[in-house]
Amino acid sequence: MKDRTVLHIEDNEYNRKIVRQLLSRTSLRLLEAVDGEEGLKVAQRELPDLILMDVQLPKLSGLDATRLLRADPRTANIPLVVVTSFALSGDDRRAMDAGASAYLAKPYSPRDLMALINRFLPEN
Amino acid sequence: MAPPVIAMLASPLGALVRAVARIRASVHVKLLAGFLLITGLFIAMTAVGLLLVRETARQTDLLDQAHERVSWSRQIEHALAMQMHFTSMALLAQSDGSVSLILRENNRFNDTLARLETAAPPEERALIQSIRGAQEDAMATVADIANALRDRRLADATTALHTRLEPTYQKIEALVGSLVAAEEARMASLRSSISAARTRSLRLMAGFAVAAVVVALAGGFVISWSFILPVREAHGFLSDVAEGRFGGTIVVPNRDEFGALAERMNWMSRELHRLDEEQRVAAETLRGLNERLALASRAKSEFLANMSHELRTPLNAILGFTEIMLDELYGEVPAGLREPLVDIQTNGRHLLRLINDVLDLSKIEAGRLELGVGEYSVQEIVDVVQSSLKSLAFEKGLAFNVSVPPEIPPASGDGRRLTQCLLNLAGNALKFTRQGRVDIDVELDDGWLTYRVTDTGIGIPAEEVENIFAEFRQVDTTITKEYGGTGLGLSITKRLVEMHGGRIGVQSELGKGSTFFFTVPLRADGGVA
Repeated sequence: MKDRTVLHIEDNEYNRKIVRQLLSRTSLRLLEAVDGEEGLKVAQRELPDLILMDVQLPKLSGLDATRLLRADPRTANIPLVVVTSFALSGDDRRAMDAGASAYLAKPYSPRDLMALINRFLPEN
Repeated sequence: MAPPVIAMLASPLGALVRAVARIRASVHVKLLAGFLLITGLFIAMTAVGLLLVRETARQTDLLDQAHERVSWSRQIEHALAMQMHFTSMALLAQSDGSVSLILRENNRFNDTLARLETAAPPEERALIQSIRGAQEDAMATVADIANALRDRRLADATTALHTRLEPTYQKIEALVGSLVAAEEARMASLRSSISAARTRSLRLMAGFAVAAVVVALAGGFVISWSFILPVREAHGFLSDVAEGRFGGTIVVPNRDEFGALAERMNWMSRELHRLDEEQRVAAETLRGLNERLALASRAKSEFLANMSHELRTPLNAILGFTEIMLDELYGEVPAGLREPLVDIQTNGRHLLRLINDVLDLSKIEAGRLELGVGEYSVQEIVDVVQSSLKSLAFEKGLAFNVSVPPEIPPASGDGRRLTQCLLNLAGNALKFTRQGRVDIDVELDDGWLTYRVTDTGIGIPAEEVENIFAEFRQVDTTITKEYGGTGLGLSITKRLVEMHGGRIGVQSELGKGSTFFFTVPLRADGGVA
């Protein structure tokens, strides 16, 4: 079976590094983008199996990028997790309204993130 | 104002009203002058009446006198006729026995003539003199006739009667006749002049009465309206003031007490206007300040909201790296490093709580926090709180029990916010309790849910209970150092409970423990912000 791909869209280098470290122990292939526009392009080009999208991104916000991906039939059904700012801020509702499959409040526990990735991409 | 009054005020009478108002005299003096004017008119009318009555009486007297003179003239005529009669009788009887009777009539004639002369107007005196002269002639003739009769000279006597006495008598008769005619003419003219005078008096009296009434009415109108006008002006002016239109001016011509009053009212109006303006300016300044404050406050909350993500991103990295290190994703953790790594994690989480509390409160204060109202399970809330805190209770060696009656139906409200509230109360209870127990229980009573957290902790002094829910309050600052916390948890909890339409409370005894509770509607609609 072909390696499954995770696209991580996040402008902070250190947070990308954490995900990189988490996925290095798995068979998942990691793609990265540092802003909303790049993330949109990579997603449409690579059609990953899971997208992790930060909510606050340069150029194009995470919520707008999510809406555009959902509007595109090629990417409409890709599982997409929005990393919101704060569970109680209302971002979670906005993320779900924009079409996210799930959300995760920042700061998140890497364990919780892995659990969420495993939910969408179970390792056999 | 009635239309006739308006018309009268527009007439010259109105000008007179204003002129009277302008007179520099007190109201007392003006009223007195008005009464004196009317009294003067009455006195004048009485005087005119008296004069007319006296004039009429004089005319009547004159008429009486004329009447008397006519009567006297008639008596003279009568006496003359009697003289002639007695003379004739003497001749017939051929005796002088009648002479004494003739003398008696002559005396009566002369007496009456004397009275008439005294009363007669000067122009009649000459006539009376001629009558008197003729009478003396007649008497001389009568004496001759009497002598002739005594001497039996009958023929002489008869001749004297016919040739001398009869013409003389005829002359006297004619003279007396003209006297009577003159007096009667005088009487007639007096009568007509009295009648004319009476008509004139009536007209004069009527005219004077009408004039007096008109002057009295006009005077009354002028004086009363010279007082009513300023009062009406003042009434309108005060209505304006009462309705909040300050700064108007009352214009009255009066230079009396009303004028002084109007002056005071104008002064008051100016003062009110000035105060009103000052107050308006102050209010405007305050409004401006308020707007700026509101803007600043909004800017602050926006800044804090933006900071939220900015703060969380590096914190995410710190906590993330710590966790994956502790999870040995970077390889085995040397024994000496595990404790400092856990310390980093503990402090990072504390920092996160602080950030969350500060941001929560700023959102609540900016009115930007909205409840996510939906169905929630009371049991689930209590379970989440219990599982979040049981390790802390275990570490401190505290008993930590929860009890939720099984019959509680699904509730409505912001489940996550209520979880946060209960978590705050239970977290505080565990924090401030060194030994003993912390219990959570829930009660449903008549549509109201009460969440209660009871501890055996340090308790709160009675005088601090009121302040406990205010921002940045802990019983004393040393507690913050010993127990940690921002002091914001309770005030956030209070606000969230109130947003649900509920209330929060505490019962506490220093050194024995506290019971914190909040009560919210089972079906909260979140309409209370």
